[in-house]
Amino acid sequence: MDKPKSGIRAALEYTGIPQSWLSARPRLPSRNWLIFIALTSSVLSYYTYDRHQARKIRASYIDRVKHFSEEPMKSSELPRKVTVYGAKWPGDEDHQRATRFFKKYVKPILVAAAIDYDIVATRQLGDLTRHVASSVVNQRRNALGIDRPPASPINLPNKLSEEQQRTRELEGGIILVGRHTLKEYMAGLERGWSGGLEKVDREEHLAQELAADGTFDEVEEGKSPVGVVHDPEAEPIPTSSRLPPSRNTALLPPLVLSKSPSIPDATSEPLVVDSPPSTLPPQPPLLLVPFTNHIGFRYIPHMIWSFFNERDRVRAGAESAYALVMGQTRDFRGPDSLHSDDTLLQEARKSTESSTASGVQDSVQGGDLDFMLWSEKLIKPHSPLSSISDARKSYYSTLPSRLATARQLARGEREMTKEEEKNPPASEVELRAERLAKESKWRAQEEGWNIVRPGTGVRWAEMFRGVLKVFKTPEEDGGSTEAGGV
Amino acid sequence: MSLFGRGAPTPSGAVNQERIEMAINEIDMVSDVFNRIVSSCHSKCISPRYAEGDLNKGESVCIDRCVAKFFEVNKKVGEKMQSAGANA
Repeated sequence: MDKPKSGIRAALEYTGIPQSWLSARPRLPSRNWLIFIALTSSVLSYYTYDRHQARKIRASYIDRVKHFSEEPMKSSELPRKVTVYGAKWPGDEDHQRATRFFKKYVKPILVAAAIDYDIVATRQLGDLTRHVASSVVNQRRNALGIDRPPASPINLPNKLSEEQQRTRELEGGIILVGRHTLKEYMAGLERGWSGGLEKVDREEHLAQELAADGTFDEVEEGKSPVGVVHDPEAEPIPTSSRLPPSRNTALLPPLVLSKSPSIPDATSEPLVVDSPPSTLPPQPPLLLVPFTNHIGFRYIPHMIWSFFNERDRVRAGAESAYALVMGQTRDFRGPDSLHSDDTLLQEARKSTESSTASGVQDSVQGGDLDFMLWSEKLIKPHSPLSSISDARKSYYSTLPSRLATARQLARGEREMTKEEEKNPPASEVELRAERLAKESKWRAQEEGWNIVRPGTGVRWAEMFRGVLKVFKTPEEDGGSTEAGGV
Repeated sequence: MSLFGRGAPTPSGAVNQERIEMAINEIDMVSDVFNRIVSSCHSKCISPRYAEGDLNKGESVCIDRCVAKFFEVNKKVGEKMQSAGANA
């Protein structure tokens, strides 16, 4: 052993390294060290492998679509533009989870393909439904001629006509991230197209409804103050005449502002045809992006697993984006289609056993309406209804005393105490405004939850049939078991 | 972002000295913003190596978004500074 190594030995001999190190027998570290090194290196290397694979997958999809961005474009042309909807996942305080999923996994491929995107912000449960419904109502009103969009005095050369805008929308597409977004979107479409044509000012309606409650009435001597939402039976005189005039000032602004600039012609709103059309005008194609959000202690193992397996989400997001870029569409499969896009559900249907999918079985609708139906069980434990009712109870129990304080101070019946001077209590107008804000938030959340909760299916109307389209991956054949549009 | 239509010119010359000043300042500001946008978005969006003079789609989309974001930020910063100036 001395002879062959003498070269290295001789070279290192004079470097100052102790001879015992050079002549020592190589040994493995101790058993404990070996365990530690094995565990740490396996975890680290799995993480590294996963991220490396994720980068490779993303790069491969980007390379496949890069050529679209290298086509020349005149400055008078406009790029293709898609609208992105990512609704709030119930139970998650962070309302941007779905939007961030889009930004991290779908957006890079869209950017590489030079497709512009427009993310519509929705903060609360049900916001997307209301947004879609109101935009559909506006669209219907414009089409029927009730509202004319105001002609701007400046004639911009690149301003598109309505038809061109419509064409641009149709070429673009709509991205829905997650099943909850699909539910909200379809509910909004249904509400918009089958509802009436009048513009609903939710704030004003709610304000009127709240004012009709007895909550802000004067407290009768000897009678318990009303703290609940129903009308008090003991109120002998109609409430409207007893309320002080200051009440109306809180309501007037919403009343005044909601009146649109009056159209001088005689068509009043109920006169116009209210009936929903039998079929919708052509709609832009939808892209259904699979997205799940694990919330809660019981899903911590799932969170850890998905932390170490980001490549699955990268692949799913990139596949969806690729389908959108390629632009091949198929019809949206309605409820009576035999082909359900949820693989788990197909197996459950084939077998007569319904033990594992008992809750889910009830809400099977068939076709694309079952997109990611299995993910509903992740939403199930996150109902906001109990927290809303608790908040309501506590608010209405403290409200009468605060109202009494406000009225006493306003009428000069007593002076403010030291603490009250430091933190002035809310006046009656502020209390009304606060109640309006809280009630509107609670009702919005309840309405949104009822749209999104497991058990209610995706809203569907016959007028959607044949009009809605879904992006599909170019390799997908007719009998594929992948989720639609992915 | 104010537009030019703010200070309407009147026929008389001497009275409008302040308005002329204002207009000059406004032109300076707007051209300054424009130059910043051009240099910033050019450096971010357009790669130094290219073969043809036309913009391609990727660059166009990038420039659209860059300019939109720039204006938004410019507006927000302007509002913040106005409120800070009003308070302080």
